[in-house]
Amino acid sequence: MSSETTTGPAEPTGSPVERLHVAGLHSPTDAVLSVRDLHVRFNSENGVVHAVRGVDFDLMPGKTLGIVGESGSGKSVTSLAIMGLLPGTADISGSVRLRGRELLGLSDKAMCEYRGNELSMVFQDPLSSLTPVYTVGTQISEALTIHNPTMSRHAKEVRAAELLAMVGIPSPNDRLKAFPHEFSGGMRQRVMIAIAIANNPRVLIADEPTTALDVTIQAQVLEVLHTAQEETGAAVVMITHDLGVVAGMADDIMVMYGGKPVETGPVDEIYYNPRMPYTMGLLGAVPRVDAAEKSSLVPIEGMPPNLLHEPTACSFAPRCPLASEACLAGEPALAPVPGVPRHHAACIKSEALGGDVDVLDIFAAPPVPASRFDAIPRDERATVLQLKDIRKHFPLTKGSLLKRRIGTVKAVDGLSFDIREGECFSIVGESGSGKTTTLLEIMEFHKDQDGEVVIGGISNKQAADSRARNAMRRELQMVFQDPTGALDPRFTVYEVLAEPLQNAGMDRQAIRKRIMELMKLVGLQPDHVNRFPNQFSGGQRQRIGIARALAVNPKLVVLDEPVSALDVSVQAGVINLLDKLRAELGLSYLLVAHDLSVVRHISNRVAVMYLGKIVEIGEVDRVFDQPRHPYTRALLSAIPVPDPQVERTRERIILKGDLPSPLDAPKGCNFATRCPVYAALPPAKQEKCRTLEPPLEAVAPSAAARALEAGPVSVPDQRFACFFPDGELEEDMLVVQDQADHHAP
Amino acid sequence: MTNLNAVDPAAVAQDAHLDNSDVVIGKSTIIFRRFLRNKTAVAGLVIFLGLTVFSFVGGYFTPWDKDTIDPFNIGMPPSAEHYLGTSQAGIDLYAMTVEGTRISILIGLVVGLVSVLIAAIYGCTMAYFGGKVDKVMLFFLEALIMMPALLVVAVATSGGGAGLKRDLPSWLLLIIVLLVFSWMGTARLIRSMSMSLMQRDFVKAAQYMGVPPRRIVWRHLVPNIGSLLVLDITRGVTGAILAEVAFSFIGIGIKVPDVSLGVLIGGATSQVQTFPWMFWVPLTVMFLLTGSLAMMNDGLRDAFDPSSSSSGRARRKIARLTSGQKKAS
Repeated sequence: MSSETTTGPAEPTGSPVERLHVAGLHSPTDAVLSVRDLHVRFNSENGVVHAVRGVDFDLMPGKTLGIVGESGSGKSVTSLAIMGLLPGTADISGSVRLRGRELLGLSDKAMCEYRGNELSMVFQDPLSSLTPVYTVGTQISEALTIHNPTMSRHAKEVRAAELLAMVGIPSPNDRLKAFPHEFSGGMRQRVMIAIAIANNPRVLIADEPTTALDVTIQAQVLEVLHTAQEETGAAVVMITHDLGVVAGMADDIMVMYGGKPVETGPVDEIYYNPRMPYTMGLLGAVPRVDAAEKSSLVPIEGMPPNLLHEPTACSFAPRCPLASEACLAGEPALAPVPGVPRHHAACIKSEALGGDVDVLDIFAAPPVPASRFDAIPRDERATVLQLKDIRKHFPLTKGSLLKRRIGTVKAVDGLSFDIREGECFSIVGESGSGKTTTLLEIMEFHKDQDGEVVIGGISNKQAADSRARNAMRRELQMVFQDPTGALDPRFTVYEVLAEPLQNAGMDRQAIRKRIMELMKLVGLQPDHVNRFPNQFSGGQRQRIGIARALAVNPKLVVLDEPVSALDVSVQAGVINLLDKLRAELGLSYLLVAHDLSVVRHISNRVAVMYLGKIVEIGEVDRVFDQPRHPYTRALLSAIPVPDPQVERTRERIILKGDLPSPLDAPKGCNFATRCPVYAALPPAKQEKCRTLEPPLEAVAPSAAARALEAGPVSVPDQRFACFFPDGELEEDMLVVQDQADHHAP
Repeated sequence: MTNLNAVDPAAVAQDAHLDNSDVVIGKSTIIFRRFLRNKTAVAGLVIFLGLTVFSFVGGYFTPWDKDTIDPFNIGMPPSAEHYLGTSQAGIDLYAMTVEGTRISILIGLVVGLVSVLIAAIYGCTMAYFGGKVDKVMLFFLEALIMMPALLVVAVATSGGGAGLKRDLPSWLLLIIVLLVFSWMGTARLIRSMSMSLMQRDFVKAAQYMGVPPRRIVWRHLVPNIGSLLVLDITRGVTGAILAEVAFSFIGIGIKVPDVSLGVLIGGATSQVQTFPWMFWVPLTVMFLLTGSLAMMNDGLRDAFDPSSSSSGRARRKIARLTSGQKKAS
């Protein structure tokens, strides 16, 4: 498999110059990229930041190295240093050799020989990495022209079309003439990959290539990356913060912390047998979509180290629950783990940390909080929010002088659900499915809305004067996705928290008291109230956002992707906090998230949305374990799981294409255009899908359940909108055979 | 059950981290440091402050003032008695320059500050309310832009405003007229900036908390476009000084007996050949004034722009040195 890839430090002795020399002569001749003792420094307002401190690795042809770490751990800086894309103000030392040739110290012009040719890169944000004024074809040809000046125009066109076909863009010859804005995010990332592999690179660096994309699209793009690697035989450096993404792809993993690799080794070793507490914490902090059992997540307390000062001790020691006096004695070097070949860890206790140590014990994860509402059956709890047939349609117009209406965007199309006390209800779906519009409709609370919103007994139809609205605002508060954007940078924490209280007409004394309570409630130091938001870390800012939402004692808190902007380790802390608050204050949540693992971890009920409609709704474990709607199944199968074994054996349902444009939205079932089941149906049944809209219906209890319980069967809490959830098993076994086993594992 | 009152250890750890290190630098410190890094801007600031001080205390260095005629020295070049010479009416040029500089700076500062303030409130209000309010206010703004400012100034300061002229000194009149015509461009800029701010989550958060619009504009929008406002103030000051000079030059701005740099320059143009000092001295002062503001503007942009790359180089020597010291200590 991957035995010939090696990661690890070079000879630890000798001066850097000598070592470089040795590395050049003795590095295994077949390593395409070998990095030795890479250091990068930047100047900042606070002093010199030592962003990368000694990275070593060898990359073998055709292999994939995953670099994992929190933000600020030096992953991206490493990749930019290799590409020679860091600004001139950075100080880079060490050695980067591409097939034995030294790249560091080359002039920008000399680097251009390599960039895009033997060494190429896929960037994180596909929306901004293509030039909007040139066609996609021109941009691919550009990459070809620079490194093959003699190539004829026709040859370039043929090659460009071939590349587009390779990355799975339908009708490539026509699409060459399209502009970037005519492509969706996932498609643009495919084009970026096509440009990156245009000249058959030896090394492809992918810097968080799927972070900006939806899960279903992420699955597609990862697949494309995989094909691209197979086609070109390139070695891939995959940089990500998501342990799930690399689990299935990488041969080797390098975990970075504080600018240094702290653990390196083959993928299975890292996932099943981590020897560094930081790696163990990272793995424990990720919620698992395939685990129903409720346990708290592992929060890694504290913040990444300050790289202004050279650490004199283990850089992870301040956050490590196992830290002892010995850990402070010096920074541990990356040393081989005894008995395991090619596994290195930078921890003096790595020998003691075998595969059988429970991460929950080490990191002292808090106990699972229990709400007083959990014991009461759902039907007997009071309703805090009810939506009845909410619709939000936007007209689509064309023309500048005379606006013609050419269609309607049905952002939200007839949505009904209710949330009971002490319950967490989640809405999931791809972007463009109408999740956020739903939230905005609830928050707007207008009389003229199409449909009825009832919040804590106040309906938008009956009482929509300012008094009723203020009463409603006290029942319902919101936590925003981006904690930085949601806090006014010019307000101190005190002012942030005081704003809703002042608005509720509380006096100065009461406000002070309440703010101190709130700070304690969300786990912040009460004497920090005079600080500005930029003096807090992302996780702390989100805690402030939560405190602000709780200020007026609402019954329902709307959470719009509350953890998607946070690092994995910090995310775990915030999720645990939300869980705790729900139990202790008896709150209800309406959560919108695209991360299904988080949804499964925290919520009780879930609704899956597609193009403004709920396609499946029900109790979270039922929906996730026995998904009925093909879209739910595809979503679930697309989520990467931080488990290499599972990832390798898992069968993915890769949905074709993107969300259909609202102009040619299907008449019948919205999902028909991408549905794998539909594609395999006989024409007569396809006709039904195309013309009729499937209603949201309860799952019929299975025959087995009916047989077990003789009396009246209780209907399970799960409804879905699909005519043929299982394909057409009885009649057309042959046609659907390959579809039938596409269940998520 | 977890104790509600327990402070999260994570927060405590992070706090200790924050307290112990120099991570947190006040924003004002950063802005100040960045400004200091731009040497031209610092020079500009020094010149501007120097001129301001000069305009206030300069008068004490000479026994003459701008109203006293020296009958023995009419149209004399610079001498020991009259540092910068005298006009053909026998008035000390030094005293007039001091007075003129003060009036020009006064006009510049007042117009610069107040017009930006008007623009900020007007622009933010337009952006916040949008819709009909925006349309009406924008129409009014466009109408003002299309009004010929020159004519209005001419009418107000000479013919039509006879009653006004009796009650107000000419410089105050000019300030008012300049104010009316100087805030529109900035207001439009601020409107578009606030519109993008409106999309930020903290404004939405305030709306969803039920904070009244007036408070949102004043507490959330105006402070957040602060850096733009500072830049616009220096630009506005320059613009106002230049406008004053131009209007006074063509004879419709400041009226004698009030003195300003524009009046001095305008009065001397016809005698550049015979009394060159009368022309060049006020012109130099004006250049110093506007030039220093322009120099400062560049530095201020560097200091306030969050995406500015003004953070210096990582020099290896320094890096090595500091790390060496750390190890030694």
